[in-house]
Amino acid sequence: MSQRDLVAELRAAHVDAPPEVRERVRLIAAGAPAPPRRITWRRSLVVLVPVAAALAATVVFTRPAKQQPTVLELSKPARIAPNVGAATDKAAKAFAVPSPTNRVQKYEATLSLRVEHAGDVSDGVKRALRITTSFGGYSSSVHAETHGSRAVANLKLRIPRSRIQEAMAKLAQLGTITDENVSTVDQTALLNTTAREITRLQKQLATLRTEPKSDENDRRIAALVTRIERLQRGEATTRRNAHFATVSLHLETPLVVRVQKHEHGPLHGVVVALTWLGIGAIYALAIGAPVGLLFVLIWLGVRVVRRRRENALLQI
Amino acid sequence: MTFQQAAEAHLDDVYGYLTWFTSDRFAAEDLTAVTFERALRLWHRFDPDRGSARTWLCQVARTVALDHFRSERRRARREELAAAPEAIDFRFAEGLSPDLESALARLTAGEREVVALRVLLDLDAGAAARVLGISPTNCTTRLNRALKKLEEALHVAA
Repeated sequence: MSQRDLVAELRAAHVDAPPEVRERVRLIAAGAPAPPRRITWRRSLVVLVPVAAALAATVVFTRPAKQQPTVLELSKPARIAPNVGAATDKAAKAFAVPSPTNRVQKYEATLSLRVEHAGDVSDGVKRALRITTSFGGYSSSVHAETHGSRAVANLKLRIPRSRIQEAMAKLAQLGTITDENVSTVDQTALLNTTAREITRLQKQLATLRTEPKSDENDRRIAALVTRIERLQRGEATTRRNAHFATVSLHLETPLVVRVQKHEHGPLHGVVVALTWLGIGAIYALAIGAPVGLLFVLIWLGVRVVRRRRENALLQI
Repeated sequence: MTFQQAAEAHLDDVYGYLTWFTSDRFAAEDLTAVTFERALRLWHRFDPDRGSARTWLCQVARTVALDHFRSERRRARREELAAAPEAIDFRFAEGLSPDLESALARLTAGEREVVALRVLLDLDAGAAARVLGISPTNCTTRLNRALKKLEEALHVAA
């Protein structure tokens, strides 16, 4: 018999499982649970690819399309006057502090304005002085300096209290208000106290003058007169100061700072992550390679021993 | 494919493989049941992308059969001093000539196994090699050796 006939005869043979074995296997198979959904790599790809695409799209499209300007304005305007009339109204309203005519008050205001160019600072100083004098006031100090495109001016203006609101409205037009502050301190009580003290001292003085003349009496009279005169001067100074409001005017150009920004592309985060992954992979390789090699050698040895035993068992 | 479908479709293949492998029909019946019990426990590991259910079931059957051979060898060592092994009158399959049955019985378990996989179950060299845990070339060599041995045995018988 040739080998081909041999194979043909072997193939023609068929082995059927006995009915009792078939029944046993059917009983075993009947206990099989419902097959769970298998998560194959193809199914995973169906989910992971759209998710990855969505993530990439989110990363790309949520980042700003253009880089931020390299010039950063640190001083932001509190408000920008759209036109002169509106600015005047708002400035007047901003400084509308009640000022009762029967009270003596110390009035101080601070006004910070931003102008665009260094030349505007110089012009602003001139116009502020002109406004001050037009309302009957004067400037107590002026300080201005320019460094390239940066210019700053500080003015201390004394303006009659009765016209301060008009003056502030005009001063506010010199630029864009960045800061404003008003404070009033009532001086009436202090003046009343001073007036009562003066009256009391004058009564004492009158009493002393009726007494017999002596050196001691003369010294006390002279001291009282000096004290009364000092109090009267103080009272006059307070009234005079209250007559004028003090306005600290600050003009400046915007402070520009050039910030060195790193140019990062939209996928910068991905590149950084991949870089760190690469570094981690190198470390893992350096540490894991010898260990892995050892495991592979052990596995190969076990496999060879098992194969030999198996061959001996099957007499191969 | 569910486990029930796989069991129904490949029961005869597993049984035939085990019958030829062990050359013991009664042991093959028990081992077939054990194979399907073990396969049911391991069914979650079966991946249709890596091979057919028949190949996978044959792998499970082979593990079961090897366990059987090991236990049989231990049992034989214990009993060989007490009694000689009992000769069993055995038929591998329906339709085989007595000479071929006799020649098959003279093959080793390893040789019968490869004949069963490649000829009886008609597995290709790759699938059979996967069941045996060897390379396809090695599998083919082993088959040729077994067939040659069968051929020689048949010549002697003739």
